[in-house]
Amino acid sequence: MKFLKLLLLPGMAAMVASAFLWPAPAEGFLGESSRIVFFHVPCAWTATLAFLVAAGYSGAYLARGNPWHDDVAAAAVRLGVVFAVLALVTGSFFAKIMWGSYWNWDPRESSFLLLLFLYGAYLFLRSAIDDPTRRGRISAAYALFAGVLMPFLVFVAPRVTQSLHPQTVINPQGRILMDTPTKVVFFAGLAGFSAIFVWMLSLDARSSRLARLESA
Amino acid sequence: MSQGAGTLSAETGLARRAFAICRKDAAVELRRRVAAASVLFFAAACLTLVSFAIGPFGLPAEGRDTVCSALLWIVLFFSAATGLPRAFVREEESGTALALRRVAPAAAVLAGKALFNSILFLAIAVLTVPAFALLLGWRIESPLALVAVLVLAGVGLSIVSTFLSALVARASQKSVLFVIVSFPLVAPLLLGAIAATVAASRGEIPWTTLRVLVAYDGAAACGAYLLASAAWDE
Repeated sequence: MKFLKLLLLPGMAAMVASAFLWPAPAEGFLGESSRIVFFHVPCAWTATLAFLVAAGYSGAYLARGNPWHDDVAAAAVRLGVVFAVLALVTGSFFAKIMWGSYWNWDPRESSFLLLLFLYGAYLFLRSAIDDPTRRGRISAAYALFAGVLMPFLVFVAPRVTQSLHPQTVINPQGRILMDTPTKVVFFAGLAGFSAIFVWMLSLDARSSRLARLESA
Repeated sequence: MSQGAGTLSAETGLARRAFAICRKDAAVELRRRVAAASVLFFAAACLTLVSFAIGPFGLPAEGRDTVCSALLWIVLFFSAATGLPRAFVREEESGTALALRRVAPAAAVLAGKALFNSILFLAIAVLTVPAFALLLGWRIESPLALVAVLVLAGVGLSIVSTFLSALVARASQKSVLFVIVSFPLVAPLLLGAIAATVAASRGEIPWTTLRVLVAYDGAAACGAYLLASAAWDE
C-alpha cells in the first residue's frame, strides 16, 4: 500500500506532463483548450465517485449503525464538494476560452452547480444536529435520498435540454471518441485522481474517528 | 395463501393509516388554518407584486410564455415552501410526535402527510394559477397539459418537502435549513415544470418532460418510502 502511495507522485507527475506534451490538441476546439479534458473530467468523475461512496457508506450506516461508516460518508461528501468545485472552476476556464464568458448557465454547468449545493446542504444539515447518533442517521437518510434524485440532475436534466457542452465520455453513440494518446492520458488521469481521492478519504475518515473517540 | 392475505392486510392497514393521518392533518388545518393562511397570504403578496410590476401589457409577446411560466413556478414554489415544511415541524413543536410514532409506522405517517401536502399544493394552484393568468393577461393554449404539469410537479414537490420536513424537524434553524436542503433536490423538478408550462402555454403537449416528471415522482416516492423509518423514527 505504501509502495502504491509512493508510486502516485511520479505517476501523477508523468500524467500532468503528458497532458501538455503528448496528445495533439483535439479538432474543433480553440488553441490548446481541449487539454482541460485531462483535469476537468477526472475532477467531475471523482466528485461523482465521492458522492456514490457517500451513498454506499450511508446505506451501510443505516443497516449496521457503525459510526465508522458515518465518518467515511461525511469525509466522502467533504472531498466530493472539493472536487466538484475544482470541476466547476476548470470548466469555467474552458467556457471562457470557447464561449467567451466564465459562466453561461449551460444545463450541464447548472446541473453540476446544483449538485454542489446538494452536498453543501448535506454538510449544513450535519452541522445543525448535535446528537451524534441522530446526526448520523438523518445525514445518511439525506445522502441516500439525494443519491436517488441525483441522476435527474446529472444525467436527465442536461440531456432533455440543449447544451453547448462537448459530447461526454458517456455519449449516445456508446463510443469513446478519442485517439490513443488522448485515451491513455485521460484514463491515467481518471485512475490518478481516483487514487488521490481514496488516499485523502482514508486520512479524513481516520482523523474524524480520532476526533470522535477523543470527544467520547 | 394465508401469507398473501397477511401482506394484503398489512398494505391495506398502511393505506388506511395514511388516509387517517391525512384526515387528522386536514382537521387540524381546518381548525387552526396556519399553513393554508400563510401559504395563501404569501401567494397573494407575490401575485400582487408581480402583477403591479408587470401587469397585462408589461411583457413583449416574444418570450412572454417563458417569463410568465418561470414567474408562476417561483410564486408556487416559494408559497409552498412556507406551508409544506410544517408537516413534521408542527408535530415536534406541539409535542405530538411521540404519540404519532407509537400509533403508525413511519411510512404511513410520511404517506399521509405527503397526501395532505399534495392536496394543499393543488388547492393553492387552483386559486393562484387562474388569478396569475388573469392579472398578467396570459393565455394558456393547452389547459389540460398545464393541469397535468401542476399535478405531477405538485405531487413530486409534496413528497420531497414532506420527507425533508421529517429530516429537519429535529435540527436547529429549521426554516433556513429547509430552504437550503430542498432547493437543490426540487430544482430539476421545477426546471422541468417550467419547461412543460412554456410548452403547454403554446398549445403543445410536453410528453418527454411529463415522463421525466412521472419518473421523478416515482423515484422520490420509492426513496421516501424506503428511508421513512430512518428519517422519522427515534
